[in-house]
Amino acid sequence: MKFKAIDLTFGAVFVCLMAIGANITAWFPILAIPIGGASVPLSLQTFFAILTGLMLGRRRAFMAMMAYVLIGVAGVPVFAGLQAGPMQLLTPTGGFILSFILVATAVGWIAEKSKTSSLGIYIFAAIIGLIINYGIGVNFMYLAMNNWLEINISYGLAWGSMIPFIIKDGAMALLAAVFMVQITARMPAHWMQIHTH
Amino acid sequence: MSNSLIIGQYVPGQSIVHRLDPRTKIIMIFFFVFIVFFANSVPSYSILAFFAFGSIVLSRIPFRFILKGLTPIWFLIGFTFLLHIIITREGAVLVDLVVLKIYSGGLIQGFAISLRFFLLILVTSLLTLTTTPIEITDAIETLLNPLKKVKFPVHELALMMSISLRFIPTLMQEMDKISKAQASRGVDFRTGPIKERAKAIVPLLVPLFVSAFKRAEDLAMAMEARGYQGGEGRTKLRILRISGRDWVALFLFAVVLAGLFATRHYS
Repeated sequence: MKFKAIDLTFGAVFVCLMAIGANITAWFPILAIPIGGASVPLSLQTFFAILTGLMLGRRRAFMAMMAYVLIGVAGVPVFAGLQAGPMQLLTPTGGFILSFILVATAVGWIAEKSKTSSLGIYIFAAIIGLIINYGIGVNFMYLAMNNWLEINISYGLAWGSMIPFIIKDGAMALLAAVFMVQITARMPAHWMQIHTH
Repeated sequence: MSNSLIIGQYVPGQSIVHRLDPRTKIIMIFFFVFIVFFANSVPSYSILAFFAFGSIVLSRIPFRFILKGLTPIWFLIGFTFLLHIIITREGAVLVDLVVLKIYSGGLIQGFAISLRFFLLILVTSLLTLTTTPIEITDAIETLLNPLKKVKFPVHELALMMSISLRFIPTLMQEMDKISKAQASRGVDFRTGPIKERAKAIVPLLVPLFVSAFKRAEDLAMAMEARGYQGGEGRTKLRILRISGRDWVALFLFAVVLAGLFATRHYS
């Protein structure tokens, strides 16, 4: 497949949306959601990674997420908390950033393969995306803690500490599927069909 | 805020580190990330620390800039150090506080691992402090060039990164405008149950998507009108050059590497 100018500019838009989504609480500090006493800042990264896959299809989504990770590495503050630099991938939570590449690609692949586009398909794709997101993120965290920082935590604890975040991102993943239906109805059709050409 | 977005963490300067080819810096940092795990003795750690602090001195970047960039990492380093002191039970007891015994082994191990992580962060942050994002993008494009053989769209990836650099400040300003516009219409993001708050995101994102896609479409049209046809035969505005100082830097890095492997323990 050859990338046309429109593919590149649309991909770039999703890079920016990821950057905004990662720091949505910079605009709305109130969007921190209380779960079990702790306040979890709402990040829309998983939400946008899933939308990127649904809207762009697997190839463009892969490129967009690669570009997102790389400009973050290049020092543009696009990661959560306006962080940037190569060291972000070396901290225990770096796996989550890397996982977005696979999340968007897998979701895009499902969206392309399914002949029909319905809420059911979107929800299925979103759940797969969420599983990849945490599958890579938590395993990376476990490896980083045990091998780089040599803090020995159990595998169960690694997952257990993530439960509030999984609840939050699970809700956001479902919202991404619902939002995809709404936005398809409201946007000009030629924008929404970008992944089909 | 938008200004800091474009230049990232870059601190302008004319030092030798600033003027190194970005590719040289990326290659050196890439290897440093791996070799830092091989240090396991006092001399080998000293060599790495000497390299890290030497580079910082040569870059002439005020130390406060570097410390500012480390702010979010301090917690992790401190936490690691403390945990090792508390948990490890090797060597002689140094401090005996009834409930807590601090062993010499814990102190050494905690210090070594925190130092390793600190050096890692120090050297990697030097890349983004002395190189602009656009230079790094150019360097990534050239370094990934061999992937073109397997049909990986290297040029397209780099161009997408450059377009994002251009779009990010604009779209962030747009987000400001939209949130103010919706607030003036009485959309309430502050109160209500979680479900209502999540729903309030929709009237924010729809206008953001519309304006973002419109910009993307306009830019694509402008590119096509100017005859953009992909990477084939495209010339570059900024051309990267490997010069004498790059070879000197790489040679010195090889010396550090050799020194490290000569002084580490083998068991």
